[in-house]
Amino acid sequence: MIAVLGLVVGVVAGLLVRPEVPAVVEPYLPIAVVAALDAVFGGLRAMLDGIFDDKVFVVSFLSNVVVAALIVFLGDKLGVGAQLSTGVVVVLGIRIFSNAAAIRRHVFRA
Amino acid sequence: MSEQEETPGNGLRRELPEELPAEQPATPVEETAGPAAEPGLTGRQRLVQGLWPPRVTRAQLIVAVLLFGLGFGLAVQVASNSDSDSALRGARQEDLVRILDELDDRTQRLEDEKQGLEKQRDELENSSDQAEEARKQTVEKERQLGILAGTVAAQGPGIEMTIEDTKGTVESDMLLDAIQELRAAGAEAIQVNGVRVVAGTYLSDSDKSVSVDGNKITAPFRFKVIGNPQDLEPALNIPGGVVQTLEKEQATVVVERSDKIVVDALRAAKRPDYARSSSR
Repeated sequence: MIAVLGLVVGVVAGLLVRPEVPAVVEPYLPIAVVAALDAVFGGLRAMLDGIFDDKVFVVSFLSNVVVAALIVFLGDKLGVGAQLSTGVVVVLGIRIFSNAAAIRRHVFRA
Repeated sequence: MSEQEETPGNGLRRELPEELPAEQPATPVEETAGPAAEPGLTGRQRLVQGLWPPRVTRAQLIVAVLLFGLGFGLAVQVASNSDSDSALRGARQEDLVRILDELDDRTQRLEDEKQGLEKQRDELENSSDQAEEARKQTVEKERQLGILAGTVAAQGPGIEMTIEDTKGTVESDMLLDAIQELRAAGAEAIQVNGVRVVAGTYLSDSDKSVSVDGNKITAPFRFKVIGNPQDLEPALNIPGGVVQTLEKEQATVVVERSDKIVVDALRAAKRPDYARSSSR
């Protein structure tokens, strides 16, 4: 419950504050958000599976974000940033879908 | 984002090793208590349990902090992406370069098109100017040719020659000689007794008088000639010339120079029946 509240408060705060995104992190923010979403869905699935571990969640969340940003950064340096970020989004999207499917099976038993 | 996330992350990581041993006994109680204590629970029941009643546990707080970061980033990204006025802000460098290139190409194309259209406009203006100029020249030429063809009146310096013929001895060939002499001296417009003399003029004798282009004229014959008087008068007066020949025939000839001779006898423009202009 607290976690859901945290999400809601974060969204509200982001909409209210509307901070200027620094130009340095601007290209990485969308990828990082998608990576974090992947971690959240993974965590939710783990919770439904009864194997949720906060330490694992924290590490996976942060490492997902950092690795995603790193890949995009590296891709930008190599000149394949656009393609690489597309690839990252595709992979994370697949993972999100499979996690969502597992969650759905738990919640709706279908 | 990475910095934003790392800052709490680092803090947590630093905290974790310290806290973990201390909370180790607590964690199983809270976290593993749910699934471990009641292994028969379904996922749905675990979800409901997690949501209600709200429990302030370390895991919930940590997840809340992370989800706060996620929600914040999500909202910021969505907000900055949906700013319609700065649609280019979120674009990547390559995309910006590509967009810039496309814009440059488009500018170039439009510039070329503009130049082509301007050129076309200039050409049209020039051609209309030229058409106007050509029209003026045509009018001018028509006027000049009209003087030669006798379709317009003319005035200018010249001479007036009157041939008094009391004896009736003057014949058409003498008048023709006079006209030829005047033409040779540079006469530009000639009329005799109200008949314009042009290229196709013919003279013939008809009992006691002379007819010019079929118009009978009688003495005195008045020539109105436009041309340079200094050329025309001597041409008539040269020894053995027109004047002497006429005077030999007992006719009296009077030649007067004048600054203003008006040749106002006109002749209708006649379209040639057979001759066609071959210049094109």
